[in-house]
Amino acid sequence: MTILLTILTLLNFHTPNLKVEGAWLRPAGKGMNSALYFEIVNNSNKPDTLYKVTSPAAELVQIHETFKTNGLMGMREVRFVVVKPHSTLTFQPGGYHVMFIKLKKDFKVNGKVNAVLYFKTNKEIKIKALVKRQ
Amino acid sequence: MAGLIKSKGILFFIPLLFLCTLTTGCADKFPENKIIGGQPYSLLNQDSDSVVFPNDFKGKIVVMSFIYTNCPDICPLTTHNMQSIQEQVKKVNIKNVQFLELSFDPDRDTPSVLKEYGNIRNIDYSNFEFLTGKKSVVDTLLRHMNVVALQGDTTFTKSGTPVYFFTHTDRITLIDPKGKIRNEYRGSKTNIAEIVNDIKTLGD
Ligand SMILES: [Cu+2]
Repeated sequence: MTILLTILTLLNFHTPNLKVEGAWLRPAGKGMNSALYFEIVNNSNKPDTLYKVTSPAAELVQIHETFKTNGLMGMREVRFVVVKPHSTLTFQPGGYHVMFIKLKKDFKVNGKVNAVLYFKTNKEIKIKALVKRQ
Repeated sequence: MAGLIKSKGILFFIPLLFLCTLTTGCADKFPENKIIGGQPYSLLNQDSDSVVFPNDFKGKIVVMSFIYTNCPDICPLTTHNMQSIQEQVKKVNIKNVQFLELSFDPDRDTPSVLKEYGNIRNIDYSNFEFLTGKKSVVDTLLRHMNVVALQGDTTFTKSGTPVYFFTHTDRITLIDPKGKIRNEYRGSKTNIAEIVNDIKTLGD
């Protein structure tokens, strides 16, 4: 009962302004690249800006978007991404993704990978992403 | 951004479908019937076995796509679609179908790199091969298959590894048993049922 009350209290008073949910990565071998996907849920009435992602698991980490031009597909680095107030921004295949370049270890299915997302207002959010197929 | 791409894709696809039905009737007559120029092409598969394209696959229906393994966003979708088509084709018991995935980044996508990319995705190699080869040979083949892959600027990681990406055609190509290109589809977001149907039609 006490535990339940504690949980309820925590839920009520610690609804974070900004949440990162459902983080997952593509499987890939050491030395190769992977992509990280997640949802950023902004419960506040202020926008926030994701401007950096770091991880010990890759040599280089960049925020990317996939684009289409003249029937060709490509991807490029973006400096930042704004999450509007009371909205959810989804990083997903074919859209925004975080590039993990030159992995320092194998990303095996069901493995977990640590990363930190840096926001202008809400500072750092630490995540553990799951490696899975699609 | 992602939503925009998605809705544009659908908007583009629907009129195309109508156009097809009205003008040619895609089901029984394919939009293309084109010999692949410049052949034969001497390539390598994921086991470093020599492959001559398209000669080695004459008599088979070939489903071919184009990827590079340093692309973790779009290309795995294409590979996944190829696997789904392979499964469907197996289910409806169409024999004589070969799946090929050619890398347009042969400098980095050596046979062993392709093998690892395939193993991580549990590729069923019974009728699925990854292809790579000499850059000049691959580039010529790409040109003859209407596939464009433009290499972007190179940057370097701290350890000095070059980092570059491609802007490329998003494509799955259907080739008939005579080695002619018969239809082309998008690779990453594609109508699997349509391709399986076309394979059935070719098989009949
Ligand atoms: Cu990317």
